Amino acid sequence: MENKISRIFLRELKRAWPLTLALLAAVAGAVLLGLTPPLVLERAVNSLTEGNGIPLSLALLYFGTLALAGIFDSGKAFLLTVLGQKLTRALRSAMCRKLSRLSASWFAGREPGAVASRFVGDVDTVESLFSSGIVSMAVDVCKVLSILAVIFVKSRGLGILMLLVTPLLLWMTRTFQKRMLRSQLQNRAAVSRVSHHVPETIHCIRMVHTLRKERYMADRYDSAIQDSYQAMEKSNFYDSVYSPIVLIISALVVAVMMVCAALGGGMQELFGMSVGTAVAVIAYVGKVFGPLESIGMEIQSVQSAVAGVRRIREFLSEPEEKATDASLTLDALRRSGKPAVEVADVTFSYDGERNVLEDCAFTVTEGESVTLTGRTGAGKSTVFKLLLGLYRPQVGAVRIYGADAALIPPRLRRRLFGYVEQAFHLVPGTVLDQITLWDEGITREKAEEAARLVGLHETICTLEQGYDTPCREGLFSQGQFQLLAIARAVAADPAILLLDEITANLDGDTEQAVLTALERAAARRTVVSISHRLYRRTGGRQIPI
Amino acid sequence: MSKRGQPDRLLTYFKAETWPLAVVTVTGLVYNIGLAFGPVLEGKLAQCLLDIMGGTTGVPAMVRLAVLYVAVTSFVQATRYFKRFYVRRFANNVNRSMKRVLYDNLLHTSREELERAGAGNLMTRAISDVDACVEGMRKFTTEVFDTGVALAAYFVLLLVYDWRLALLTGLFPPVAFFLAERMKKPVSRCAAVYKESAGRLNGATLERISGAVTYRVFGLEADRDRAYGECLADYEKKAAAANLWENTLPPLYQVVSMLGAVLILWLGGKNVAGTGWAHWDIAAFTAFLTCFTKLSVKTSKAAKLFNSVQKAQVSWRRVKPLLKEVEEEPELPPAPAAELEVSDLGFAYPGGSEVLKHISFTAKPGQVIGVTGPVACGKSTLGKAFLCELPYTGSIRFGGRELRDMTDAERAAVVGYLSHQPELLSASVKDNVLLGSDGPAAPWLAAACLTEEVAAMPQGEETAVGSGGVRLSGGQQARLALARTLRHKRPLLILDDPFSAVDMTTEGEIMEHLRALAGDSIILLLSHRLDRFSELDGVLWMEQGTVLAGSHETLMETCPAYAGLYNAQKGGDGRGE
Repeated sequence: MENKISRIFLRELKRAWPLTLALLAAVAGAVLLGLTPPLVLERAVNSLTEGNGIPLSLALLYFGTLALAGIFDSGKAFLLTVLGQKLTRALRSAMCRKLSRLSASWFAGREPGAVASRFVGDVDTVESLFSSGIVSMAVDVCKVLSILAVIFVKSRGLGILMLLVTPLLLWMTRTFQKRMLRSQLQNRAAVSRVSHHVPETIHCIRMVHTLRKERYMADRYDSAIQDSYQAMEKSNFYDSVYSPIVLIISALVVAVMMVCAALGGGMQELFGMSVGTAVAVIAYVGKVFGPLESIGMEIQSVQSAVAGVRRIREFLSEPEEKATDASLTLDALRRSGKPAVEVADVTFSYDGERNVLEDCAFTVTEGESVTLTGRTGAGKSTVFKLLLGLYRPQVGAVRIYGADAALIPPRLRRRLFGYVEQAFHLVPGTVLDQITLWDEGITREKAEEAARLVGLHETICTLEQGYDTPCREGLFSQGQFQLLAIARAVAADPAILLLDEITANLDGDTEQAVLTALERAAARRTVVSISHRLYRRTGGRQIPI
Repeated sequence: MSKRGQPDRLLTYFKAETWPLAVVTVTGLVYNIGLAFGPVLEGKLAQCLLDIMGGTTGVPAMVRLAVLYVAVTSFVQATRYFKRFYVRRFANNVNRSMKRVLYDNLLHTSREELERAGAGNLMTRAISDVDACVEGMRKFTTEVFDTGVALAAYFVLLLVYDWRLALLTGLFPPVAFFLAERMKKPVSRCAAVYKESAGRLNGATLERISGAVTYRVFGLEADRDRAYGECLADYEKKAAAANLWENTLPPLYQVVSMLGAVLILWLGGKNVAGTGWAHWDIAAFTAFLTCFTKLSVKTSKAAKLFNSVQKAQVSWRRVKPLLKEVEEEPELPPAPAAELEVSDLGFAYPGGSEVLKHISFTAKPGQVIGVTGPVACGKSTLGKAFLCELPYTGSIRFGGRELRDMTDAERAAVVGYLSHQPELLSASVKDNVLLGSDGPAAPWLAAACLTEEVAAMPQGEETAVGSGGVRLSGGQQARLALARTLRHKRPLLILDDPFSAVDMTTEGEIMEHLRALAGDSIILLLSHRLDRFSELDGVLWMEQGTVLAGSHETLMETCPAYAGLYNAQKGGDGRGE
């Protein structure tokens, strides 16, 4: 479980192996080629000091190494992006697949927006962990190490100097970045107070006006802004002081090196160098600080990504539902001769503490129409959820044509059940999609027939693009959406119709239309209903829950 | 910061920040010109090493040079610190001034206007525009020095060393800049396409999750996963393309711009050898090369200058019309008590039918008048009519003066209004009562029967109530709002259903406090709970927008609907609806 994200990543990296290899090559190339221009420069300057001038070939070589380093840098950025995107895609689709395997109760307790932020924000941080975290950190570490190595070869004394300074600088960088992060967090809290102030004012504007509190509110706003600035000034301070310190240190290192190189004796041995080497080495010293600063930032982004990674890992390791039984077929079930619905001594609880259903038992034979009765909260809707296989009972069994309700595969469910939900759930797409739910087995004719059955066909035809009108809130009235829900349920010609209580506030005429539609939909089908209103109209057997 | 001239002109803000800007200008110039000395000194260091090796000079010369190098670098970097710091301070100050003006405008916008056409949203967006605009101003100020001045300084230095070579090599960075500008269109187009795709993906994600159970019921999860997969594929493509343009091109521009280095090495080498356009030593050679490298890096950032100006302009254009100077009206003390006379009052929402018609009644100072009626009888509307947010017909006179003819300030000194939305701020309990006025909050909390509950809160009166008062119960919110209204007492208090979430005993207590505190104020108590109506000085029974005024006793006799409602509540469990 622990390494699921890394396993997804590894699989993807393996699948896109040419890209992975190319990325490795580009990284190696960028690091090594980045080292070469100062080396060429060294030769050029040495050749100058010997009084030989610089041959054009050497000048071109200098440019060539610069250009190649640039090209490799560019290639590295490109490959990193492409691979990073492949990884996020793989991770997101793995998470999406996970959704289908989670239990219905998992969804019940969660805000969709919060779950969506796992998919959006957290995956993005994981992507940045890969591209601007781990990989670029490796690249920067390589750069620093290779530059240090070259410096060591060129001038042992400076190498030792740099070895002493580098950890110090890295430590300083981290300290600064941590402090900055802290004041940025403070600032963010203050900023959210500032931005909250405006909607709050709009909400309370009547109070502000009638009590003449404009001044007071303006002062409050000012002080919130002031707080945010104080936090920001702190972070500005660190931001403004960091680079100057680094550059002064770099100047100090260069100065010490040059003085030591000029000294004779033992120092000469350590620092001795040609003028060309001096020029090259000054260039290298400058080059070390860039990657050092980046390493600091990368440590930061790795740290901030950790929370996101943990949340995704938690999500991916949520307990899953048992797989369904793919061997079941509609024909086999319907010809089994078993009752359409059988609830056998079921005891069920959502939380494991309070039983919603206790020893509930009833049978509905094919073609029968029953109404479940009982107070609100007695568990009538829960029975539906058990029938649909969304939950499993702790005790007893729920069988549909003899098969365990929870084992019925998704494809079969649509043909077995026509479920009219309490409130219509709009799916993205056209009006036709609302009825067919993209099921290719349901032709346009069948969908129109379903719409006619519920009396919505004429209304849909008056729409500008008829059935192909993109569907959105407000296109239909509440009652019409209720009719659409019924059309959706019957379009697949299901064996069993489940009618939930309609919660919408409908006016008298609309209610009649809905009831008529339900009545028509119920004809010649097995019906389990909890609608009082329908019962009053059609009667049938009552089952107390 | 009360008055500033012409808040809708950018110059006003620059003028107001003369001092930080002056620091920025001085330090910006020193820093960027000083920057050019770094390469010069580095060159001299190399030359000095050569001289020492040649025996023409000694170690002390190197020490002197090294100390100078560190000193100059330190000084230049110190100015850089001040420059950065003051640029940000300048931006902060401008940001605050602009937001203050915007907010003042918001405060003086009427509620109707805020509700209409999403003026509230407009304001929220304007605030983020201010951020963008000020960010642009900051970048502009920074880049003027860091790009403009620095480029000039570097180029002048190059000219001094060898003007012909400087002009020749100086051709390449502009070419790179031009290329970058030419590529801007596809870059921003790809970025826009990418943003759209990201939006679609976010929508699809939310939709897939919020519809999860429905999809499961209908056996559709596999279909939706496939649709989501398509969104993901699209997003991958667009994101890769956008990042490709953004990240892979800059190193290549840099390459173009560094073409000049070939000429420097070749022709500069000739200069050192004494066969070129100028006579150089090693110091001049390395200084020229380093300077040129820095110049080409700077040029690639020159585009930033233009981009920041452009972005700031766009936001500024949006914000500008909203930055208006507002007249602040004086805060008047509460008006003296007087008689209220309402005659033939009528009211209709714009484009709607009449909600109030032919309403007439009077009230004397100190009276508490109950207003009640069936659901949707218009009693809340009657309460709001006194606020004059929308025009009424007929007349409402207080102390002989027509309410609609008063200024906002005068009216606010007469009418106190408590709506059934408590409109609490996310501040402490105390601040919510006092709203910045002096004195203790305790007596007012006591009047609203909140003393004990507030004492039980973690920080007592200083306890924060959360956004909109979420940390309080509904009843507590209503009573806190009541305490606030009482603290800001007016001679005419309109209380819209203050007891709906309060139990009977508390209601009784509050009523007693109310009478004691109100003194000679007139109170209009709009309520659907009639238990206390027999104690009131008068009752208005409202039905379909008209009113039947009288005492409780007379209405019990003459108005069967009122009597019925009253008896039902008295006879029932006392919690009648």
